[in-house]
Amino acid sequence: MPRLMAIVITFSCATLMSGKAFAYLDPGTGSMILQGVIAGVALAWFTIKMYWYKITSLFGRKPPENLLDDDVNQDGEP
Amino acid sequence: MDRLSASFRDPSGFVFSHNGIIHRQVNSRYARDYEQLMESGLYEALIQKQWLIRHEEVQESAISLGPGAYKLLRPEQVPYISYPYEWCFSQLKDAALLTLKIAAKALQYDMMLKDASAYNVQFLGSRPLFIDTLSFAPYVEGEPWIAYRQFCQHFLAPLALMAYVDISVAKLLVTQIDGIPLATASRLLPLKTRLKSGLYSHLHLHAKTQQRFADSAEETNTRALEDRKPRISKKALRAILESLAVTISNLKWRPPKTEWGEYYAQTNYSPGAADNKANVLRQLIESIPSPLATIHDLGANTGVYSEIAAAHCRYLVSQDIDPIAVEAQYQKRRASGPKNILPLLQDVTAPSPAIGWRNTERDAFTKRAHCDAVLALALVHHLAITNNTPLGDIAAFFADLAPYLIIEFVPKSDSQVKRLLATREDIFPDYTEAGFERIFGEVFVVECKQGVAGSDRTLYLMKRRVDTDKN
Repeated sequence: MPRLMAIVITFSCATLMSGKAFAYLDPGTGSMILQGVIAGVALAWFTIKMYWYKITSLFGRKPPENLLDDDVNQDGEP
Repeated sequence: MDRLSASFRDPSGFVFSHNGIIHRQVNSRYARDYEQLMESGLYEALIQKQWLIRHEEVQESAISLGPGAYKLLRPEQVPYISYPYEWCFSQLKDAALLTLKIAAKALQYDMMLKDASAYNVQFLGSRPLFIDTLSFAPYVEGEPWIAYRQFCQHFLAPLALMAYVDISVAKLLVTQIDGIPLATASRLLPLKTRLKSGLYSHLHLHAKTQQRFADSAEETNTRALEDRKPRISKKALRAILESLAVTISNLKWRPPKTEWGEYYAQTNYSPGAADNKANVLRQLIESIPSPLATIHDLGANTGVYSEIAAAHCRYLVSQDIDPIAVEAQYQKRRASGPKNILPLLQDVTAPSPAIGWRNTERDAFTKRAHCDAVLALALVHHLAITNNTPLGDIAAFFADLAPYLIIEFVPKSDSQVKRLLATREDIFPDYTEAGFERIFGEVFVVECKQGVAGSDRTLYLMKRRVDTDKN
């Protein structure tokens, strides 16, 4: 019986946990903040690149390989 | 249950060995995340790409699980565990790119990697494989990447140092188990790396930002930190992953004045003698009772003879001290196999030590390398003469590793040994064929001995005496 209780409690805790990602690493304050700083630049660079490849593909040039090898769509939405 | 000593950081579960088979316990606190990995289609997608280790859920009544157990997994078994400080440049680079690809793929399924340790990657032959099934966490809209710092320390910093400072700087990973601190890397890297946007932002600026906030009083004020935590859209997060991938992909290592193609061709043998050596090796290996599971080739150079031996065993670990030789072999195996050869860096005169918490987190080479046979071709003169190791100690070292030894004796009349002795006094009276046979004969029985026609060298097949005496 205590074992069953333990399972029920563990499960409830697991399902009730809020939407926060469970992290056992210390992400580092500086590392988190830096991502905020570079996110905009990275996204702008990525968007420009996508448009550039769209234009050059009109002239028959093949875009370079997708290093992340994922099926990202034209808008950069994963 | 024999819990692996490296498996303690993440409370999501742990790895243990049962009857020599690696298992993974998933804890209840990770149940929801595990089910998301399995049911969202992410696991299948990663398996299809051959990026993640395959596992099956098992129920073993013989195994009493630890407290908080949710499920028991039996992953595909990795024949030999290697560590980032034993990988050549391209191996570490491939492991880095694999980690980023997996993170991007996870994002597509609303999950993310919660860690990015280089130890989460292993090699099956020359193919990198992500082995930590419990590294996936649900993606939370707006959250930055928790493992960003770890990724930069484990992959970006060592690769940049190898490419721009010196290949041997990778050895820092032996003492820095959580990767190279970015401040250290930033100080060591040349000025020109600040002009490269990827290295500037992910490494130099990263190090600076870390320092800025480590020194700040805000570090202890959780509320203030929570307020300052940036929100990053999923698109932007993917753009950061791509920027890291481009930065890593642009890092190249080319040893000075060496072309990879030329390196394959370099050999101390005339073509005829090399063929003879290959034939003798084939004969000796065939006389070892089969099947052979694992062979370690020590001093393998670019792995020409490893390839011959690999046809007679399930798995071959091909090791050399020279990063150029290992790099050349890895590139070749990656392109054209054979798939059962794992090229690694290893200095036999100072093999990888046991490191980490209680010196048990990452095992020493001598603990991992037990196998069915050791190949030591063109190696003994480096150990005995360059390193002054007594022949008896060399024999004992090999006897610790395997019951069978194929060893090449390189006499003083050989041009390579002449070169080693040219600048120093010959203090090695025992270093003769007779002395070698007498001293090795105390630990091994010589089963077969054959000269290599066209050279002064001799190959021996030896069997460990303790095994022979038992029979």
